[in-house]
Amino acid sequence: MPHMLTTGAAGSAPTGENPRAKRANVDELICWWSIPIFYQIFALVFGYLTKIMRPPIPGPTLAQDGIIAFTLGNATHMQVGTVLLGIFLGFASMGTGVIVVQMRRMSISSVLPYGYLACGAAAALPGCYFCALLFSVAAFRPDRDPHLIALLYDAGFAGFIGCLGCFATQYVVFAVAIFLDRNRIFPKWLGYMTIWNFVTELVAAPVWIFKRGPYAWNGLLSFYLGVVIFVVWIVCVIIYLKKAISNQPLGEVEPA
Amino acid sequence: MAAPVHDTGLSVANDAEGNSKRHLPGDANVWLFVIGDMVIFSCYFTAYLFDRGHSHELFLQSQQHLSQNVGVINTLILLTSSLFVALSIQAARAGDLGSASRFLTLGFACGVGFVLIKSYEWFLELSSGWTISSNAFFMHYYMMTSLHFFHVLLGLVILTMLRRELRRMASPRLQFLQIGATYWHMVDFLWIIIFALAYLMR
Repeated sequence: MPHMLTTGAAGSAPTGENPRAKRANVDELICWWSIPIFYQIFALVFGYLTKIMRPPIPGPTLAQDGIIAFTLGNATHMQVGTVLLGIFLGFASMGTGVIVVQMRRMSISSVLPYGYLACGAAAALPGCYFCALLFSVAAFRPDRDPHLIALLYDAGFAGFIGCLGCFATQYVVFAVAIFLDRNRIFPKWLGYMTIWNFVTELVAAPVWIFKRGPYAWNGLLSFYLGVVIFVVWIVCVIIYLKKAISNQPLGEVEPA
Repeated sequence: MAAPVHDTGLSVANDAEGNSKRHLPGDANVWLFVIGDMVIFSCYFTAYLFDRGHSHELFLQSQQHLSQNVGVINTLILLTSSLFVALSIQAARAGDLGSASRFLTLGFACGVGFVLIKSYEWFLELSSGWTISSNAFFMHYYMMTSLHFFHVLLGLVILTMLRRELRRMASPRLQFLQIGATYWHMVDFLWIIIFALAYLMR
């Protein structure tokens, strides 16, 4: 049975009687901005500052000297990147919240948006912060034992790409919600695209097994294909999330 | 026993007899998905072929450890299941929901057969000592077949949903049935390519 959405007493005209009356969904739009801003910061931190994306060649089989050079060579950049990420990580949570609010407008049980939220909470820390953190720990003391630096290098990279599996359930939940939704909050093809994303996450999972080849953490399939599909997907999500917010009737009261 | 099958096609309206005049079975979204999934799989196939080109001898030797007979049996099973699913859709379109449901059950049973045989085949290969980290061939083999296996499991879930639609809905939605069938045919098609690459190319 689809959730019934009720409109506030004042409908679309703010009369002052309905405490939820507003001129536009400004609150949601403000939160929506957290998503593109977060991903710009993410790109800056991981692409330019920490240089984790794209991974150094040859990746898992990099010699000890190479690992030391990579980790300590841009120590300051890495540390600044971690600081930035720490501050802006909350934006990812806000972005998840916006998606959850839109999911609650769908004609589905609340278990799916809450599941999405919970999966996001479980995956966010290992998904990005953990990696940056480990590299900054490695760079914190330049005279650290090289074996420990190599350990942090392995843990950082394999964890970063391997933990993409944590997001897998989140994507499935999102896709299922879109497919079941009769209120058409998001287009159905976005649900299918989410399944593609999920498939690439599955393929990213075996980075713990391989040190070279397309399924290693710097591999063509585990890393590059996954990143390309993710970028396409998140751009579509950002665009259609904004559309969903814009199309949301003013004064719409969320179901309890 | 004919029952009305509810057709909510996206494009052209039904003609006087209620037959769909659409060219595209299912809806455009699932075809987009199928194409995208095949593009993703083709990246995996390309990586396999690339590595095969590099280590031709290794791949040839490793392939000898796969049983072509089992591969053929699996291929026949999936082809048969696709046939049953197609017959099911045909029956549903004609309003014969009983036959449609029975064909779907047969298709599902074939899918389960594939799952069991594939699992047993993996068990044999693993028992012989060929694991995912044995060499490049087996890395690709296990990754491709695992990914496909997951698609088959999802397909079984989808077939169950289709059967439920046929049995419990007063007027089952033909479009929904076709969407599920399209996915299943894609799964079959992907297996044929995997079979050709891993088992046949020698």
